[in-house]
Amino acid sequence: MTNAPWRILDIDLAEGPRDVAADGSPHLLVLWWRSLPIGTLALARSELPFSAAQLADAAAPMLADQALARTTARYAGEDGAPQEPAGLDAAMSLDVLGQLDAVAPAPPPCADRLSVIVCTRDRPQQLAACLDSLATQAALPGQVVVVDNSGGGSAREICARPGVTYLHEPAPGLSRARNAGLAAARGDLLAFTDDDVELAPSWTQEVVRAFDDVSVDAVTGLVLPARLDTPAQRAFEIDLGGFTSRHFPIRFDSRFLEVTRHMGPQVWRIGAGANMAFRRSVFARLGGFDERLGAGASGCSEDSEFWYRILAAGGVCLYEPRAVVRHHHRSDWQGLRRQLRAYMAGHVAALVAQADRYGHRGNIRRIFRQLPVYFARKAMQAVQNLQGWRLRLLWAEVVGWAIGLTYLLRPRWRRIGRGSRSRSASPAATAEVRHA
Amino acid sequence: MAYRLVQLELSQPIPAIPLAPEEDGVGLVARHEGRLVGFRMLPRPAGEGLSAEAVRAVCDAEFALPLAAIRARQTLADRWDLAPASPAPSLSIAICTKDRAARLARLLRSLEAVRGGSSFAGLEILVVDNAPSDESTREAVEAFPDVRYLREPKAGLDFARNAALAAATGDLLAFLDDDVVVDAGWLGGLLRAWRACPNAGGFTGLVLPFRLDTEAQVAFESRGGFGRGFAPFEFRTERHGPLHPVGAGVLGAGCNMCFDRRLLLSLGGFDEALDTGAPLPGGGDLDIFYRVLRAGRTMRYEPAYAVYHEHRETLPQLTRQYWTWGLGFMAFLEKARRTDPELRPRHAAMLWWWMFDRLGAIGRSALKGRGQALGFAWAEFKGGLQGMVGEYDRSRRRVQRIREQAA
Repeated sequence: MTNAPWRILDIDLAEGPRDVAADGSPHLLVLWWRSLPIGTLALARSELPFSAAQLADAAAPMLADQALARTTARYAGEDGAPQEPAGLDAAMSLDVLGQLDAVAPAPPPCADRLSVIVCTRDRPQQLAACLDSLATQAALPGQVVVVDNSGGGSAREICARPGVTYLHEPAPGLSRARNAGLAAARGDLLAFTDDDVELAPSWTQEVVRAFDDVSVDAVTGLVLPARLDTPAQRAFEIDLGGFTSRHFPIRFDSRFLEVTRHMGPQVWRIGAGANMAFRRSVFARLGGFDERLGAGASGCSEDSEFWYRILAAGGVCLYEPRAVVRHHHRSDWQGLRRQLRAYMAGHVAALVAQADRYGHRGNIRRIFRQLPVYFARKAMQAVQNLQGWRLRLLWAEVVGWAIGLTYLLRPRWRRIGRGSRSRSASPAATAEVRHA
Repeated sequence: MAYRLVQLELSQPIPAIPLAPEEDGVGLVARHEGRLVGFRMLPRPAGEGLSAEAVRAVCDAEFALPLAAIRARQTLADRWDLAPASPAPSLSIAICTKDRAARLARLLRSLEAVRGGSSFAGLEILVVDNAPSDESTREAVEAFPDVRYLREPKAGLDFARNAALAAATGDLLAFLDDDVVVDAGWLGGLLRAWRACPNAGGFTGLVLPFRLDTEAQVAFESRGGFGRGFAPFEFRTERHGPLHPVGAGVLGAGCNMCFDRRLLLSLGGFDEALDTGAPLPGGGDLDIFYRVLRAGRTMRYEPAYAVYHEHRETLPQLTRQYWTWGLGFMAFLEKARRTDPELRPRHAAMLWWWMFDRLGAIGRSALKGRGQALGFAWAEFKGGLQGMVGEYDRSRRRVQRIREQAA
């Protein structure tokens, strides 16, 4: 791995042939067909320049897959990937580029129904960039709520701009902050994002369009890296796979819960909390985010635990990669290790919570069987490939797993979960509402 | 044990595939309008063929996406107007052979069938007869017009390859082993690879089985054979791991490879101490891939540039092939370590990786009680150990003696 920063380059293939010149830095190409993200391509320095013919070779399978996925809906199977084969007839008769042209136009620029909730904690600069990207949306959302989860209210000044509702929720915990945000939201569609994210200009309208399908209760979208400057950022995005990696829509429904139940339903594959949205009615039925989970509490997975509840109640989550955000990954190894530790601890906590809530033993099996096997396999690979950095990241995950185990031994913590099945989101008593 | 090898044209109605009583599987080569789309090995109970529906289901699952990708590539090229801008290069095809006139004639016939459709600026075919014991090869070549015959008295595949390099005139120089035949799309595939990446130093292509008539042939192909898949790729990146460019074996095999001839000349050709036949029959392809990459040039793998390879017929022959892989690989690694000190950490990493990988394979097949797989894995490991203890030096001394005798 070289240490030079990578350049992230967006290329719209619909605009015609394109040669990518060498400029001394490795590239991550983000390939689009107008509004459709169709894939990414990592190119080392020595692979540049990259000719239009090479680009066509690399893009063709992605375009074909995209066109097929936009022809027939795909349902998630065991590993979150679609299980139904595409079919020879479809492949033979499909006009790939014609189909892409047909589905590529942007939706009408209207997002009045949408309330966007941004939870933040002591990251004023990144929050400013996030709010800038919200202000430059092609379709401005009906409402923007910022929930400041810092003790001292450090985001207050940043939020003094038109169209932003500022809330202060000093009790730490991302779930608390999100629940406070949804209590203040007015729209019938609620989208959540984080302060370390920048939104693509069409994000709001794409989120709204995804809800055109009335059966959809929740939408998640594509999370691209905002920068790949440091080895830690590249390790997270490229070696660990980042947040989301698929570029075609996938529907997750109760069948997905069923086929993966024996090994712990793989709900984290549905998407990422930095890019998710819900119908407001879902919260009335299922309650708010579990306040024992998430950053500031157990670590994370409050988002996937909520998707779990949607699927268990027979609902549908749609992963629609057209709704694009760009996430600032942790730039240093220490930050990445802390993040992975928190993710794993939160993941194990969520498994415990899910097992308690529904009696699905697969969640517990995942803690004691799948995860240790995963650790062992990754450790072997890292040793074989002499990747010390991977071992150190893995160790952080193992520590997180051990922390997560402690939740199993906390009867009070687990009882709260059993009781909270029907608990609805309540506006936080301390929330301070200010319309700027 | 035998598999029936079937060529399936996807644009035609999908047929049922009957099996003879002694056949217990199908090797399915799928094409669309002549272009290769995919290959699958399908084990079956002996004599139980596949219905048209069953074949169809396999095609739906395995070939639909690659087929759509091929069609997408064509329409994209049309829309982008990716017409070839530069004139095509000229091509020399070199076949190094020794005392296998029948196989050579088979290969020459397959080349005869495709050379008429060549878009290369010029095309010559050279046969290098390597230390022959009789005149049968010369006689076989005389039956074909426009095939040049050369004789290399010094025994050793890389002596023969270097003789071809000295005699060839094309911009590109393609090498074929005498135990392959070329696919109908072979020339077009090579030209496509060159067009996609004209500054590549070399090209490798797909190797499919020529027949699957014996247990050894089925076993070899089932274990992956020489297959490198149906997606083109280039080898020069960090994505191919920290072992780059030492692990260039993933590129393909020496039985079907092509190079920029001038680059080969500037590199001094092949290392004659490798690929000497017994006792060191291998490593030359790895070595030349490595040196091309170290010269700063990329290598490209192109599936349409395909040949059919006659796999080893008997299990002892196959076991010996795995042994030669280990031996040739370690001889190459030792040579690279010695001649390229700058990359020594990577050579050491490769050695570690290989040990881990091979011991893992031995352990897994032992645990699962798979005797045959264990035999293959052990043979390769043993070859590797032998390669580590001075095989390259012994081979260099042998080759020096061969040179002196010839002089």
